[in-house]
Amino acid sequence: MAQTTDTVPAVEVPQDKTQMSQMLWQGGTIIALVALIVVFGILRPAAFLSFGNMTNILAQVAILTIIAAAQTVVMVTGHFDLSVGTTATLAGATASALMINGMPVSMAIVVGVLVGTLVGIVNGILVAYLGISAIVATLATMTTVGGLAFIVTDGTTLYGMPESFNWIGQTRLAGIPMPVFFALIVAAVIWVILRYTTVGRRWYAVGGNSEVARLSGVNVRLNVLLAFTVAGFASALGGIILVSRLSSASSTSANDYMMLAVAAAFLGMTLLKSGQANIGGTLVGVGIIGVLQNGLNIVGVNTYIQQVLTGIIIIAAVLMSSLKSKNA
Amino acid sequence: MSTATADPVVPQAERLALRAEGISKHFEGVAALTEARLEVRPGEIHALLGENGAGKSTLIKVLTGVHQPDDGRIESAGEEVRFSGVRDAHHSGVVALYQETSIVPTISVAENILLGERTPSSGGLISWNRLYREARRQLDRLNQGHIPLRRLAGRLSPVQQTMVSVARALAADARVLILDEPTAALTDTEIRDLFAVLRALRADGVGIVYVSHRLEEVFELCDRVTIMRNGQTIVTRDVAEMTIDEVISTMVGRSAEDLFPERGTATDRVVLEVTGLHGNKVKDLSFSAHAGEVLGIGGLAGSGRSELMRLLAGDQRRTEGTIAVEGRELAGSRGVGRALEHGIALVPEERRSQGVSLGATIQDNIAIANLSRVSNAGWVSASGIARLAREGIADLRIKTRGPRQQVGLLSGGNQQKVVLAKMLARHPRVLLLDEPTRGIDVGTKAEIYRLIRALAAAGTTIIAVSSELPELIGLSDRILIMHEGRVSGEVPAAGADEELLLSYCYGRKA
Repeated sequence: MAQTTDTVPAVEVPQDKTQMSQMLWQGGTIIALVALIVVFGILRPAAFLSFGNMTNILAQVAILTIIAAAQTVVMVTGHFDLSVGTTATLAGATASALMINGMPVSMAIVVGVLVGTLVGIVNGILVAYLGISAIVATLATMTTVGGLAFIVTDGTTLYGMPESFNWIGQTRLAGIPMPVFFALIVAAVIWVILRYTTVGRRWYAVGGNSEVARLSGVNVRLNVLLAFTVAGFASALGGIILVSRLSSASSTSANDYMMLAVAAAFLGMTLLKSGQANIGGTLVGVGIIGVLQNGLNIVGVNTYIQQVLTGIIIIAAVLMSSLKSKNA
Repeated sequence: MSTATADPVVPQAERLALRAEGISKHFEGVAALTEARLEVRPGEIHALLGENGAGKSTLIKVLTGVHQPDDGRIESAGEEVRFSGVRDAHHSGVVALYQETSIVPTISVAENILLGERTPSSGGLISWNRLYREARRQLDRLNQGHIPLRRLAGRLSPVQQTMVSVARALAADARVLILDEPTAALTDTEIRDLFAVLRALRADGVGIVYVSHRLEEVFELCDRVTIMRNGQTIVTRDVAEMTIDEVISTMVGRSAEDLFPERGTATDRVVLEVTGLHGNKVKDLSFSAHAGEVLGIGGLAGSGRSELMRLLAGDQRRTEGTIAVEGRELAGSRGVGRALEHGIALVPEERRSQGVSLGATIQDNIAIANLSRVSNAGWVSASGIARLAREGIADLRIKTRGPRQQVGLLSGGNQQKVVLAKMLARHPRVLLLDEPTRGIDVGTKAEIYRLIRALAAAGTTIIAVSSELPELIGLSDRILIMHEGRVSGEVPAAGADEELLLSYCYGRKA
């Protein structure tokens, strides 16, 4: 998992002006992000604010961005997907195993993505059509998929993927690591879907009140299934990019991203008065987690304490914005 | 809470249970209450009336410590009080009961009655014997000894839940009980039971503030009435001195006659043809409805009237029978989207849980049923969404800051207009209205009646379910009464007799 990270690129939460008047900003979470950057900037200006540090960590926050974006889609519909981490792991491991065994790189990637998408479809069917609560259903698939990852990797770490696979995770464009661009593309596409398409409208309507949506003619089940499917697809992309960046696929490589993705999406929900999940907010959440981990590393706080602090700061940011909305 | 010493000259017996005077309250610069007043005597049932937005709820919240007034004086049992929170009001004996939040469904009846500080305990352990004994005493006082103490409160009927919350208020030594629309979810028999309890409490010296939109209840139950309008108290009088028409005209500030618009828009052209319909609770139902007609559907709760609407709207599975709109039969056994495509639109019974998404904006609420109108090949047009919402706001005269206002912040009547706007934007051929004016103030009701008639005049077929017989008679051209899933009577609405309709409701065949 990413130990160091950095300021999220200039992805200021994208909202047009008219939208802003409707969705009152709850500033607490953004203040927290700015405050973290300022504090680390003052404590270790040379190390923290250097170009090298920025770019180095951008790559690590990139994977989290993709998986958190997947989580956001599901949370928009009012559900949860605890399996995004192990799904990413399984997709990366599957693609790696296949290419190590001689399958063409592009084919292996397609199969890996399909595997992740399939997990998403299973989640969607369990939740939307069989009526199992999302927490329970995805907890179960998380466990099962995690087990499948062990089977695919045989419990070891796979390496020796073809050179042509490495460009996905290891090359740079204009000095910026390639995964950053993939993350931006995934986030942008999901943002556009949520914001400008009928599918996105339906997802938000289902998340807002599924009964109202159903009585308005929305096929609620199909849309929930679709959201889980998209989440599985995006998680798989994240897992495959991670494997390329690391040049190896372990049986648990992306598992830890699940909790961080949930945390990022939660932090992002505090940005909207309506309390809905949204990509802009999720990116701010990813930024907070990234800056925190990177900053604490640079200041020299050990990993165990980092984990404790990460949890505390998430609670503080959420508290700040909920207090603010209470006073408003 | 700080208490000032009462005027020693006033004898105890003449003290009012609760007195509020000159109460003003602003929210973000907007006056919600301006010098409002309310007097509650011990041992009276006092109706508090007013349209939605008249300030009733705000006044109640001030009286129960939820809000603190900007100005004014509150006296509880003759002593000036300042409630800084609900607990202060409770300690002073002023308790409000709200329908939704009155009980904890997952614990027993007895625990509900003695919730919180009242739970008898010694050394941190609950004294179950004392708990049951005390809870039993409170229920007996209400003549509700038959309610099982150990049952989970969530498994009680709505009226029993209300009784339990009343018992809890009594256990907390309530002197003033404020009931906000307590009969909304109750059947007629249950309402009788509740009234009996309230009368017993009145005899016990409890001052009761009774908020309701059902004026018949007020005239049956209450001793005095205070009417509010625009945040001010207009009048307090004995109920016996007033007529229903006077009450209504005081509430709306104008005469209440012509609440219902003229009939005479119905044609002979059949639009909706239902044959042999079977489904959840509905048995072998056949009828047709015409262009320009308002067809009223009546019946007791559980008679299948709401289920009929759900079946027509495609939300429940039809096991047998056909539904045809202008000769085109609906395929499949269910599907809201399919019914909408055939021009059947439903304004559901429960506005807040089925009609609108409270957290979403007006424009998003309207757009969700009209995505094909505001999108092209799956791409949504933001300006199209806003335009559609502005049209709806203008057509229905929705009182709002604009299309981006959150629906949850609107009054009940305006929320209902949003639901109507959402469905009307589809230009339905058949508009199904399930309790279209439930919990809506008189002024907005009249507006909705006019709108319904205007739609009928434009050729829409309207099917309206209502549990209020005067509304059913005043609004409809023709009335079908349902009993146990079947039609038990059909009459023209003009000059229809309430007693006859009621006898159909109870299953006496025509």
